[in-house]
Amino acid sequence: MNLHTLAKSLGVALPLVQMVVGLVALAAFVGLNAVLLVWMERKVAGHFQRRPGPYEVGPWGLLQTVADAVKLVAKQLFTPPGGDRTLFWTAPFTAFLPVFVMLLPLPWSHTLTAFPVNLGLLLILAFAGLNVLALCLAGWGSNNKWALIGAARAVAQSVAYEIPLLLAVLAVVFLTGTLDLGLIVACQGDMPWEWLGASQPLAFVIYVVCAVAETNRAPFDLPEAESELTAGFHTEYSGMGFGLFFLAEYANMIVVSAVATTLFLGGWKGPVLPGPWWFLLKVYALIFLIMWFRWTYPRTRFDQLLNLAWKWLIPLALVNLLATAVLVELA
Amino acid sequence: MNQTLAAQLLFALYALVILAGGLAAVLARNLVRAMVGLVMTLFGVAGLYLLLNTPFMAFMQILIYVGAVVVLIFFAIMLTRSPAGGEEAKPRAGRQALLAGLAGLAPAAVLGAALLANPLASATRPAEVELKLLGAHLLTSYVLAFELISVVLFIAMAGAVLLGFTRRKGQ
Repeated sequence: MNLHTLAKSLGVALPLVQMVVGLVALAAFVGLNAVLLVWMERKVAGHFQRRPGPYEVGPWGLLQTVADAVKLVAKQLFTPPGGDRTLFWTAPFTAFLPVFVMLLPLPWSHTLTAFPVNLGLLLILAFAGLNVLALCLAGWGSNNKWALIGAARAVAQSVAYEIPLLLAVLAVVFLTGTLDLGLIVACQGDMPWEWLGASQPLAFVIYVVCAVAETNRAPFDLPEAESELTAGFHTEYSGMGFGLFFLAEYANMIVVSAVATTLFLGGWKGPVLPGPWWFLLKVYALIFLIMWFRWTYPRTRFDQLLNLAWKWLIPLALVNLLATAVLVELA
Repeated sequence: MNQTLAAQLLFALYALVILAGGLAAVLARNLVRAMVGLVMTLFGVAGLYLLLNTPFMAFMQILIYVGAVVVLIFFAIMLTRSPAGGEEAKPRAGRQALLAGLAGLAPAAVLGAALLANPLASATRPAEVELKLLGAHLLTSYVLAFELISVVLFIAMAGAVLLGFTRRKGQ
């Protein structure tokens, strides 16, 4: 049964059915992806730092994350006394729910998009901002000094890195003249030299650096910084409260990598293999790169972090944007 | 479902979100909670923009207000660390509360009466304005307003920098 007949038999509009089916599929993907990525992160960390990583639970330790998930679900949910109960529990949902909106407009292949939006890129950027808000609320509601310092860092960091990120993305929008992710992919070809990353290498580098900072991954993980702030903004969260933040972090990695793939790496396009495989391959290659950063570089100091954004990335992104504008006007 | 009915239901929902957010912002004793009320209101307004078939405005509303302005407000709240039991936090006496309530309700009553007296015909579905057209108009017909906004922002920025420098000198 295809979606058209399903929509007709239910008596509702086709886009509604598409959206519900898309959301259910994305929810399943987000859950599975988190389980896979946690395992992958441990394995990558293990091999980078010459230790085996998990190998006891299941073949190659594959079931380790499943065991962890069961542990997280079974744990008691604890609200710190003196904290703001409502805000404390609003935060993990504010972190997790926007992920679904951000995954909706991504083109997985020529035809496969959960919900095509002609302003898809803008939709993703708009809802990405909610992550900071979640971190702030978590830090504030916890009534814990580490959590509050983590929240303060998250704000300063995200304000600084959102600007070069937007400027880098704008350069691509100047070139393609559209905010529709499907059309941006259509502007690119099968081969790497036909991708926008080849004509916008600086924007790609700036985007990746900012994406790592926006997802709060090491070396820019100052909001949680285990060795300084215990666990930063999520110090007080137990069980699935922490679990939701975790799910959100891994889903956000998918979103930033998928947007990078769509904007700079030709999206689902590639020779021989069908679209979705190329898309997944590129997304997971980028995620591997982000993990590589995490286990190779030490955490930056806070002043270094802000200097990098304000003194290097923003001027570079501005120059790149100006050059792109001039080139587009001349061409 | 009937499209008009659906639009009316959605309007009611968004209006409810806006009002609830506004009440939460006004009645909260805690500044961060008031900020969450503001976020709710901003989302409701974004919903209204969607209903007016201007998704660009709706997403920009979320991107700029929720993603940037609210975060800056949070920054300001944390930097000032205003005491929780300040003068404004005390509940108002009966007469004052009554007057404040009247002051709040009066504009709503006047506007509501005016609307009921002259019902606007807005049954047709608004057409979506193309993004390129919007940009072209912003930089031609409405360029004065557009540039004035940047002047306001520039003054705010210059003021912030000035305040930052004078404080550093004082230390």
